[in-house]
Amino acid sequence: MSLSRREFLKNSAAASAAAAIGMSVPAELEASAAKAESGWRWDKAACRFCGTGCGIMMATKDGKIVAVKGDPAAPVNRGLNCIKGYFNAKIMYGADRLTTPLLRMDAKGNFDKKGKFAPVTWERAFDEMELNIRKALKASGPEGVAVFASGQYTIMEGYAAQKMMKGGFRSNAIDPNARHCMASAVVGFYQTFGIDEPSGCYDDIELTDTVVSWGSNMAEMHPILWSRVTDRKLSDPERVKVINMSTYRHRTSDLADIEIIFSPNTDLAMWNYIAREIVYNNPDAIDWDFLKKNIVFAASPVNMGYGMRRTGEKSLSPARPDGSAGKYTAKEMETIKHEMVHNVSAKEAPALEVYGYKEGQDMVNKPAGLKHWEISFEEYKKFLAPYTLDYVAKIAKGDPDESIESFKKKLQTLADLYIEKGRKVVSFWTMGMNQHTRGTWVNTLSYNVHFMLNKQALPGSGAFSLTGQPSACGTAREVGTFCHRLPADMMVKNPKHRKITENRWKIPEGTLNPVGNQHIMKIHRDIEDGVVKFAWVNVCNAYQDSASAKHWIKAAREMDNFIVTSDGYPGISAMVSDLVLPSAMIYEKWGAYGNAERRTQHWRQQVLPVGDAMSDTWQWIELSKRFTVADVWGPYTLRNGKKLPDVRKAAHALGYTDDTTMYEILYANKEAKSYKVDMDSFPQKGYDNTESNGDSRNVIGSDGKVWKGYGFMIHEYLWEEYASFGRGHGHDLADFVTYHKVRGLKWPVVDGKETAWRFNVKYDPYAAKAVAKSGNGSTHAFYGPLAKALSQGDLMGITDKKKKSLKDKAKIFARPYMDPPEMPDAEYDTWLATGRVLEHWHSGTMTMRVPELFRAVPEALCYMNPKTAEEKGLKQGDLCWVESRRGRVKAHVETRGRNRPPRGLVFVPWFDEKVFINKVCLDATCPQSKQTDYKKCAVKIYKA
Amino acid sequence: MKIINKITLGLVTATLLFVGCSQNATPAKKEVVKATISEDSLGLRKASLFNEAEIKPNGTEYSQNYAGSGHKIKRAFQDAPPMIPHDVTGLIPITINDNQCLGCHMPEVASSMGATPIPPSHFMDFRPVTTIAADGELEKNGHVIKNTSSEELKNVSIKSTHGKLYGGRYNCTQCHAPQATEPLAVKNNFQADYTDKDGANKSSWQGTKLMEGINTYESSK
Repeated sequence: MSLSRREFLKNSAAASAAAAIGMSVPAELEASAAKAESGWRWDKAACRFCGTGCGIMMATKDGKIVAVKGDPAAPVNRGLNCIKGYFNAKIMYGADRLTTPLLRMDAKGNFDKKGKFAPVTWERAFDEMELNIRKALKASGPEGVAVFASGQYTIMEGYAAQKMMKGGFRSNAIDPNARHCMASAVVGFYQTFGIDEPSGCYDDIELTDTVVSWGSNMAEMHPILWSRVTDRKLSDPERVKVINMSTYRHRTSDLADIEIIFSPNTDLAMWNYIAREIVYNNPDAIDWDFLKKNIVFAASPVNMGYGMRRTGEKSLSPARPDGSAGKYTAKEMETIKHEMVHNVSAKEAPALEVYGYKEGQDMVNKPAGLKHWEISFEEYKKFLAPYTLDYVAKIAKGDPDESIESFKKKLQTLADLYIEKGRKVVSFWTMGMNQHTRGTWVNTLSYNVHFMLNKQALPGSGAFSLTGQPSACGTAREVGTFCHRLPADMMVKNPKHRKITENRWKIPEGTLNPVGNQHIMKIHRDIEDGVVKFAWVNVCNAYQDSASAKHWIKAAREMDNFIVTSDGYPGISAMVSDLVLPSAMIYEKWGAYGNAERRTQHWRQQVLPVGDAMSDTWQWIELSKRFTVADVWGPYTLRNGKKLPDVRKAAHALGYTDDTTMYEILYANKEAKSYKVDMDSFPQKGYDNTESNGDSRNVIGSDGKVWKGYGFMIHEYLWEEYASFGRGHGHDLADFVTYHKVRGLKWPVVDGKETAWRFNVKYDPYAAKAVAKSGNGSTHAFYGPLAKALSQGDLMGITDKKKKSLKDKAKIFARPYMDPPEMPDAEYDTWLATGRVLEHWHSGTMTMRVPELFRAVPEALCYMNPKTAEEKGLKQGDLCWVESRRGRVKAHVETRGRNRPPRGLVFVPWFDEKVFINKVCLDATCPQSKQTDYKKCAVKIYKA
Repeated sequence: MKIINKITLGLVTATLLFVGCSQNATPAKKEVVKATISEDSLGLRKASLFNEAEIKPNGTEYSQNYAGSGHKIKRAFQDAPPMIPHDVTGLIPITINDNQCLGCHMPEVASSMGATPIPPSHFMDFRPVTTIAADGELEKNGHVIKNTSSEELKNVSIKSTHGKLYGGRYNCTQCHAPQATEPLAVKNNFQADYTDKDGANKSSWQGTKLMEGINTYESSK
């Protein structure tokens, strides 16, 4: 042991010497860079799991993965992975992989919704899908065909799905699980910057002095970013400060200088407190030159509800005298009623006074959309007045056992650290601020503080939204697999954007549906209302991951509809489905992911899929063969009366006939076929490509014949066509082959160079161009094009409708503290927060099948304060019920674990099928972003 | 009509595939494969989605072996992070001032404590020094860079931390976890291929192995 250490020191001394002369790696190490253990093939890939986007090195032998190591060349993680990252090696080898399509059937072999499953061929599976999509289109039009999409789709999968849904079926009812994870961040970006995704990059961590984690357990959820924060902290413990803001103590607190335990939802108040400290008590800290050149102030309506169902919706009718309504119980309605009318509480009244509301007054809610208007700085200042240290400390202190003095001191220190001249600050957040009934608001509030101090979009400083999923940025956001989006930040409701997309896709103008409102909760609700008749679950677990889960499961199993799940393993979504399709998993296909620092990373197919599993890209393209111009491009009338024109004639003008299939138009067109299979050159040489070439399994395909491949390089085609949308528009991506040579690049990639800090003239060529044009001499240009002309008004509303341009400017928003719609009361006396643990990913379908990860955390525990346990007559290890107005589940009590909540709050993660916590959670969302708040609802806890 | 025919054909194919009847080409519905897979048999829950009363969550019984008792868990594959074979009660959380793992696992003391020594890979820093030059340029190891990753692997950097644990590896529990005795929910068919004689027990990731295989462009051109 000590010998090898001496050897190592010798080696590393050489490495240090090499670094000193400008080389980073000594020659004898470099020589091994292209070699491998005999029989092993090493290749680079991206980690399957979180939004950090680590690079991994993956070894295969005899067609199987045999090892994973951290990639020393990957800038994100530099030779290190977290426990999940290493165990990517095992995720595809669980014994119960789905290997063949399964259909519910009766004894005669016909589809039977009440039947058990039997294996069927791919051909039969597509027959059933085709039949049921036709039925759904006939019954409800394009709004009747829906897809639960994913932030874990590869970029090409998401793009393929989007094309068929929006271009083929003319349905915008495709929305990703990423809606649950970062939609609030997106709307925050749109409203503030006019363009999606962060200004900064991960190098901020090494360059900053202060890391503030707002409701994000980075130590478990972004472990490699946390390892970078840890290294930074340990390298200069005096200067570098780490502050953890959370509703309960967790591992991120373990490294922090200051831990602030706050009451759920009061992050809104704390951001406004810091802003008030700047404006009222430290006005010299405001960089007025920066603000005048780059910022306007804005306000929006406050009575916008909580994104729950509204009176008049089919499943809420009729209302009954006992308080129940439609499919909802009287208990459930106690919370849902707030969607219509909310009584202003003592807690929120001081913050709402400037809007004309008083404690005890009814606030009548109505959908407000994304409307906002410009206000003066004086109005903003007036808005901030209530957020004194006294008020904010009173409502925000989250640990009943902490003194108010101690809490106030921490808040003051927090504000001081932000304000301190010359101190760089990064604010990180993920689900805490996004899964929030005022998620959009709280996202925008973060930028307020950074803007006023001119600490945004600078090396080492900025408010930095982290994403949860590996391609929430790359696929869900950039490709635009949301109901309202098109590629590269374009919107379905914008006629120019539709036209650009239609032209690029070579489909008739007028094909795309301008109404995009079927977000993921709306799809569930539309199934419950009987509107959506066909739904397909892609690369997610929509029936385990959605709150108020009982409703959606019931709707899927008991109503007249057809639910399909494509997955690697059978999870809860498979259980409720009518047809289950076996999907190729991550390293069984070519792919690309985009992470939270705008880094796009590609990988090659490492091994063949198991059984008859095929990729989601293939499943979409095969489905497209079943539908012709005549089938899908006729006229439709949408629910709201809007008519989609008959575009068949226009299709003929483009050279298509009534019988031309969507396959020929959207996927196997002339341009696609120009991307050649080339097995003699990089990057295809030596690697399988099941979609393009078929493979040695000789899977019987969707037409009953052996699958032999499309005959062209489908992945490169999908990539290049998709990338063409963003090039020249601030979303520039490099070419397909380049990404296979490098460890990812941060877009916009202009002239082969990635962009480290966006909107900053020094680093972002688009910002430099904008400032050269405007001539205002600014250091920044917030050039995003969305919502860049505003009416004028005050906090109460618009006073002058005329719109004023705010080209290249960003916004500071006045947005108050408000309560969530459900809070603990006498009966349901405890807050419930849900989330993840380090060792498991989302619904656990992959990680629960890896022995090391399973044994690390075999079950979802109910983490609680020992005093809470005592109050409830519970002790460590007891089984308890966690019950809300919507349902109850059992879990074991954990009072000594990694999560240590204050009295009055429990935490239960959601990865465990046996602790189906989303039956308990509430499907309230941010009304602007439509993202569910999984972090707070009211429960009671008692012994099981 | 067309659809119905297709479905029938599909059924026949299914029959051929799963019943193995290779002669009869006419629709023979009685030979249809039986639907026997219940939804409750799929996945890990193994119980109805509508009934919570009958569900019992898994248990979490971690090893009671005290640290230093000599029990080891085989590494999952060559150079995989080893799992924690001993009770960690009282040893975690790891805080900024207190990392009790180091007390036994630092290479200097590990053998005398009967602990697995922290391997050489943990005493090196793969991250180039990141700075902003006076003119604002982003530098890595003192050099202005075009991109943080390049096809020539110019930005790979490996430096000794001179016997001090690399700060990025301070949070031991981000890779190493205790293991419960709970029976697995599902078997995993992964097969390790230890290239080192002692690969199940010891990291070999050092020296020339650190760079092994990383030039994936060069090796597959």
